[in-house]
Amino acid sequence: MATSPSSKPPAIRIEGLTKDFALTLRGLKLRAVDNLDLTVKENQVFGLLGPNGSGKSTTIKVILGLLEPTFGSCEIFGIPSNNVRSRMDVGYLPEAPYFYRYLNGEELVRFYGRICQVPKDRLEDRVAEVLEWVGLKDAARRRVGTYSKGMLQRVGLAQALVHDPRLILLDEPTAGVDPVGSAEISELILKLKDAGKTILLCSHLLAQVEGICDEIAILNRGRLVLEGDLKSLVSERHRNAVMVENLPAGLEKELGAWLEAKGARLVGIETPRTTLDRIFLEHIGYRKEQGSSRQVDENIARSDAGKPEAS
Amino acid sequence: MKTIRFSPERVSIIARNTLLEAVRQKLFSFLVLISLGMILSSTFFRDFNFGSGELKFITDFGFGAITFFGSILAIVATAQLFFSEIENRTALTILAKPVFRSEFIFGKFFGVFLVLLFFCAIMAVSLAGVLYWREGELTREIPDAFADGRLVAYGDIFIFVFLQWLKFGILAAITMVIASFSNTNLYSVVMSFFILIICHLQYLARDAWEALGVLPVKLAVGLLGLIFPNFQLFNLGDQIALGERLPGELALRVALYGLVYILVFNAVAIYSFRKREI
Amino acid sequence: MLVLAGLLTRPIEAPAWHQLREREPALNLDRIEGALGQGVTVALLGGFRAMVANFIWLRANHHWERYDRPATTALIHLTTAVDPRPLYFWLNGARMIAYDMPNWRYDDLGGIENVPRDVRREIEREQSGIAFALLDNALEFHPDNPSIYIDKANIAQRRIEDLELAVEYYRQAALQPDAPFYAARIYAELLRRLDRHREAYEWLVELYPRLPPDNDAAMAPVVLGRIRDLEDHLGIPPGERYQPPARARPGVPEMLVP
Repeated sequence: MATSPSSKPPAIRIEGLTKDFALTLRGLKLRAVDNLDLTVKENQVFGLLGPNGSGKSTTIKVILGLLEPTFGSCEIFGIPSNNVRSRMDVGYLPEAPYFYRYLNGEELVRFYGRICQVPKDRLEDRVAEVLEWVGLKDAARRRVGTYSKGMLQRVGLAQALVHDPRLILLDEPTAGVDPVGSAEISELILKLKDAGKTILLCSHLLAQVEGICDEIAILNRGRLVLEGDLKSLVSERHRNAVMVENLPAGLEKELGAWLEAKGARLVGIETPRTTLDRIFLEHIGYRKEQGSSRQVDENIARSDAGKPEAS
Repeated sequence: MKTIRFSPERVSIIARNTLLEAVRQKLFSFLVLISLGMILSSTFFRDFNFGSGELKFITDFGFGAITFFGSILAIVATAQLFFSEIENRTALTILAKPVFRSEFIFGKFFGVFLVLLFFCAIMAVSLAGVLYWREGELTREIPDAFADGRLVAYGDIFIFVFLQWLKFGILAAITMVIASFSNTNLYSVVMSFFILIICHLQYLARDAWEALGVLPVKLAVGLLGLIFPNFQLFNLGDQIALGERLPGELALRVALYGLVYILVFNAVAIYSFRKREI
Repeated sequence: MLVLAGLLTRPIEAPAWHQLREREPALNLDRIEGALGQGVTVALLGGFRAMVANFIWLRANHHWERYDRPATTALIHLTTAVDPRPLYFWLNGARMIAYDMPNWRYDDLGGIENVPRDVRREIEREQSGIAFALLDNALEFHPDNPSIYIDKANIAQRRIEDLELAVEYYRQAALQPDAPFYAARIYAELLRRLDRHREAYEWLVELYPRLPPDNDAAMAPVVLGRIRDLEDHLGIPPGERYQPPARARPGVPEMLVP
């Protein structure tokens, strides 16, 4: 037994995971994941990062039981991931999902809800609930084939959440989505965390991950190269930044000398820059604090309606 | 702790979704139209003045259209519906839910099997309709030939089409086996057609078996006859068209044979699909 | 697993397959392959036999409409070789050969009025011979079928006006189980025309008690009338005349089941 009843098992526990793919019949193999150990604690946003081909998706597929590990083990809330039962508590949004194009959003989410055996008397409420939650209430009766990429991601999120899982796996949730959509999804992820969920996020778009992850692990060529608490990893502890308004010209030298006298050192003075993302969001009227997500959703839905995605 | 068991309900949800997808594809409507066209065009035999023989011609052509286009539908629709799930990654989202792989395979299979049922039902009803209409007309034109009442055994037509449906079911299950391990749609379709031909011709190997002297060859041929189901067994249409009644026991045996093979090939498909990396 | 399935289903499959094979005459591939090519042969082996035969029959009819004797004859033979089961192909093929083709041959010789009588006879005998051979071939696949004998008899009677031959064929037709009642009556009638009154009389006397009284097609009173006519003709004294049984025997005689 991996867990005793008293100690609560982590959301994900991966031990010594190795996955080989046979390239040729003669036994030449590609090692996609190499001896990976990873633990994701409950109720945190965990970022699984790495360049393309680093083994992120393979790891996710092992967690979902879609791939059998070559060596090692993987458990979800203490249940081996090759056991179908482990998936009762998992919601999954695949990378660039397609879904059944001829269903509308509501039918699609209902389909997945029934697959997960959401009780019949709860199903309709639950479908409406998650659709509203991801901001697709107004597009619920439109065929999925006419959805934009951002809407596809959101309906994907809705189907991942319909059975109210405790763990949610998101594979590149913001790839190919515009900044408004990305910001939306980031906000949804934080809301999920507030609701007590555990989120495993897999991405190579680091700027977006930075704002929301509690912990991260970086994979490269199938190996774990860095793991830890995001804040402690990115902060440079021996350095501090001081923000000053209207610093008079020529005062830099004086300031430097003063600091040196106190035993510190002025490393540099530069103009702080905002991010392009932030400028973009400000100019299209997106305000994280006050703008309810539904307001923005309606804007997106309206602008999406005019340009249905071809893909 | 919650337990999870094989659920016929999940199978039926996946099956219904598969059916819906198939019906919205163009292939199904195309094959239905072309087969209907073939059955309806058989009224052109009137030009040849075949008398009551015309009914045999219509029956033959109807059965031929059902057998031929039904086989195409069974193979192409199965491969298409399976690979659309794989390629669109919807298989990922379904299998990432608490769903057994056996439920997925059964769901896909029964979806296709339902599609085939619709196809067979449409065909059987139209064929019987055309025959009934022509038989009525011919009875008025040449009453002598119909002195003993109607010549067409309508019940047998439906039994025949039902048995064809079972045969298409075996074929769909075979296609599912191939699709479960192959990487492309095209490969699955080609292989399935190849096996379809083997299943139709395996009786020749069995006929030759007795005459074979060399032991290894004899063993290989014997094995061939055992591995592939005998599709000629379902070929009862000629007799119905000739006005011979179908013995009930024969039809029952063939139906049982079909059901066993549908189950066997589904089991093989599940076994093979469980190992598939998605 | 599949081998196991094959072994387990054999007890279900084998009797059904045996039953099916018995109803299905073997394909005579030697005759077919040369004429059709391998693609069609595969279709034949794969179970599209009736369809292929139908298509060939349609081709035969196409040539028949164009009075093409060699092509029509060849395609009739091919049709019956591909699928000998439908009686329809044999009977209609034989009729085309015996009744239609002589007329085409007169036309080739400048019209029926320009063909000398003995040449006409020769042509009719030749064509009927081909038709008889075809129908004899049909008997190999449909041994007890009275229609084949009746068609032979018809050709003999109407086309070559050979009553002796026609009588023999009607006799054979009447002897088949499932023979229509009229075959036995026509046989007796033709015997009478050939002045074989005694034979006709004996045949009808033997036939009469086996006719079901309640079947109109059996025409029992007509047969009794013919018996009386023949008795008159043969001068049979009243005491020796045929006495029909008071009541026809119940049950249908095996020879004359309708």
